[in-house]
Amino acid sequence: MSVSAPERTVREYFPTEAEYQGLLDRRSRRARLFQLACLLALMIAVVALATLLYTIVNDSFGLVAVVNERDPEAIVADLGYDPAAVDLVDLEYDELVGLLETAVGSGVGRRLEREQRFYEDRLVFESDEVWAEICSSEAPPTGCTAGPRDHSNVHALVLERVVVQDVIAAYDLVPSLFNPDGFDEEIAAGFETSRFGEYTPDQASVEWRAWFNVGFLRSPQSATPEVAGIRTAILGSAWLVLITVVFAVPVGVGAAIYLVEYAKATRLNSFIQTNINNLAGVPSIIYGMLGLAVLVRIFEPFTSGAIFTTGVPPAENGRTVLSAGLTLGLLALPVVIISAQEALRAVPDSLRHAGLALGATRWQTVRSQILPVALPGILTGTILAMARAIGETAPLILVGAASFITSDPTGPFSKFTALPIQIFQWTSFPQIEFQKLAAAASIALLLLLLTLNAAAVILRNKYSRRA
Amino acid sequence: MTNETSIEETMTRDTERAKVSLPEHADLPIPVAEGGGVIETRQMSVYYGDFRAVAEVSLNFAPNQITALIGPSGCGKSTVLRSLNRMNDLIPTARTEGEVLYHGQNIYEDHIDPVEVRRTIGMVFQKPNPFPKSIFDNIAWGAKINDFKGTKSDLDDLVQEALEDAALWDEVKDKLSESGYSLSGGQQQRLCIARAIATKPDVILMDEPCSSLDPIATLRIEELMLELKENYSIIIVTHNMQQAARVSDKTAFFNVKLNEKGMRTGRLVEFSPTDQLFTSPTEKDTEDYITGRFG
Repeated sequence: MSVSAPERTVREYFPTEAEYQGLLDRRSRRARLFQLACLLALMIAVVALATLLYTIVNDSFGLVAVVNERDPEAIVADLGYDPAAVDLVDLEYDELVGLLETAVGSGVGRRLEREQRFYEDRLVFESDEVWAEICSSEAPPTGCTAGPRDHSNVHALVLERVVVQDVIAAYDLVPSLFNPDGFDEEIAAGFETSRFGEYTPDQASVEWRAWFNVGFLRSPQSATPEVAGIRTAILGSAWLVLITVVFAVPVGVGAAIYLVEYAKATRLNSFIQTNINNLAGVPSIIYGMLGLAVLVRIFEPFTSGAIFTTGVPPAENGRTVLSAGLTLGLLALPVVIISAQEALRAVPDSLRHAGLALGATRWQTVRSQILPVALPGILTGTILAMARAIGETAPLILVGAASFITSDPTGPFSKFTALPIQIFQWTSFPQIEFQKLAAAASIALLLLLLTLNAAAVILRNKYSRRA
Repeated sequence: MTNETSIEETMTRDTERAKVSLPEHADLPIPVAEGGGVIETRQMSVYYGDFRAVAEVSLNFAPNQITALIGPSGCGKSTVLRSLNRMNDLIPTARTEGEVLYHGQNIYEDHIDPVEVRRTIGMVFQKPNPFPKSIFDNIAWGAKINDFKGTKSDLDDLVQEALEDAALWDEVKDKLSESGYSLSGGQQQRLCIARAIATKPDVILMDEPCSSLDPIATLRIEELMLELKENYSIIIVTHNMQQAARVSDKTAFFNVKLNEKGMRTGRLVEFSPTDQLFTSPTEKDTEDYITGRFG
């Protein structure tokens, strides 16, 4: 006992001094227990997040064993360059196309050309007559309308079709760092059990690979995991976010302004309010069904861009990036409305009264006094809603994100894929390389989300300071 | 601006004010209401839903005078004040009956836009509520939203004039671009007064403008009110009887009355020149209140 008051008559419903000490101990124990419990909860959350990051990073880097059908150095040497000074990627566009021309069969070549042509002004694999014929057909291939391939695209094709690199085994980051010999043993064991088919041990070479690298971000999707990248998916996601923002922010903020600033407390308005709150909790797959039924099917002339073009209707039906973006916009709309309402309600009434008492109309007051104060809150809510929309997969699958597409989206009426779709698709493949690619794409998606959240914080701080 | 405002200046400003004030409206007759009032209420009752907050108030506010509304809490004096420029419209359930005549025109008639009313009958609130903008913008905004036609330098003049009239210019002239929130409470309230007079109103309503200020800031606002009444008609709600006695020309005393059903309704008890009301009130309730027997 450390602190004690002088003896005095206390009312009987308080414990005696002796009892009090015991009860105090019990209270302190309970306090410590709950503090610990809260700390434990925090630890669980942190461990879960750390595990997630660990898994993704662990999968994205590490040792690989590769077998090249043709050695890139030999290819460069064959063209008369010094392999020590010139890499495959340094070759001219024409030389790369030349390599492709000699290496692939005419069937594959024609398919590549129909997908996307090599030159604006001439054809490599197709003949002019056939090309004119297929381009005027009912469903012309993408090569008829899309621009020519670029250097990185053809370089990826050369890697895929000429070098034909095959990753036969891959090792995770942590064992690669701490037990690289284990990988050699694993490869040796693999050859003994002839897991690698016809390859011989001297063909395989072990090298480091960062699956998440610049090339990965810049290369288009490919069926060959060694050259596959996520540029198509990143651009698809960017288009989706753009369309989602353009749709959801004006509509959502406008609806919020009406509900907070203008709507009277009628039954209809409280009914609408309740339903907006409920919509925020509707599973995203339901929005996908809505998008499929309404945007893709009913509004097909609009979402496919058919009503904006004359002559040849576009090849894509309603399964365009516009349909998907609007679907995600609908999904984000309730969240945007609710967060904008919260931000507007947080603006004190004294500002409204001040504005109106000066003879301002309601709109002038909202525009000049209320919105600037509410803007940081609106922005934060909006960006968080966008972050949610970026990670959505289910509605995109329903609306018809392409599972395999190598051409970048060129506008709102393009076919598209998106990062989460790409990750989902790669994880479903059995090859170990695709698992690595999925992990690397996850890093890209997380970085994108992180960027958006950082933007939210920066914008909020910027506009808060201005007040 | 110096303390001595020349008569000429005052007159010029009055003419300017007359040019921009309400009477431009075709439906508004210019003649002053019976009894010479700027604002006159006739049998005005204000309801919040079914609840009658104040009943049958008939008052006549004289031009270029300060009229104080006093009374115990809940007597409806703020309600009366807010109904004079239709700020009560902002309360969804509020409803006003009877007439509120501004220069003879009932401001509750259907064709009257409350925006127009509030521009002519400005308001200063209980708590200082500057906009979260610069001191300059706080004052210039009122002019801008009221379709100010002048140049940038006209706007500068307007801001300076309003700040001078509100006795704030000397304190803020070097920091016009700083936030209105950077000022002290008393300065903020004077900024709000400057903001109100910058739109050239005819009447200024003040809802307990000093209740959140210290005695020195209060004194400055009171001095300011006495200066402003040369150009404006001022109606002030106050809890502070000394303040009413110090600044006002006429005082209206409100009290809460229980009706048959036990509902509390505010009523006007007495309305007379301030000297008279505080020295020889005619009503027993007034006397009880001002001598501190209740309230």
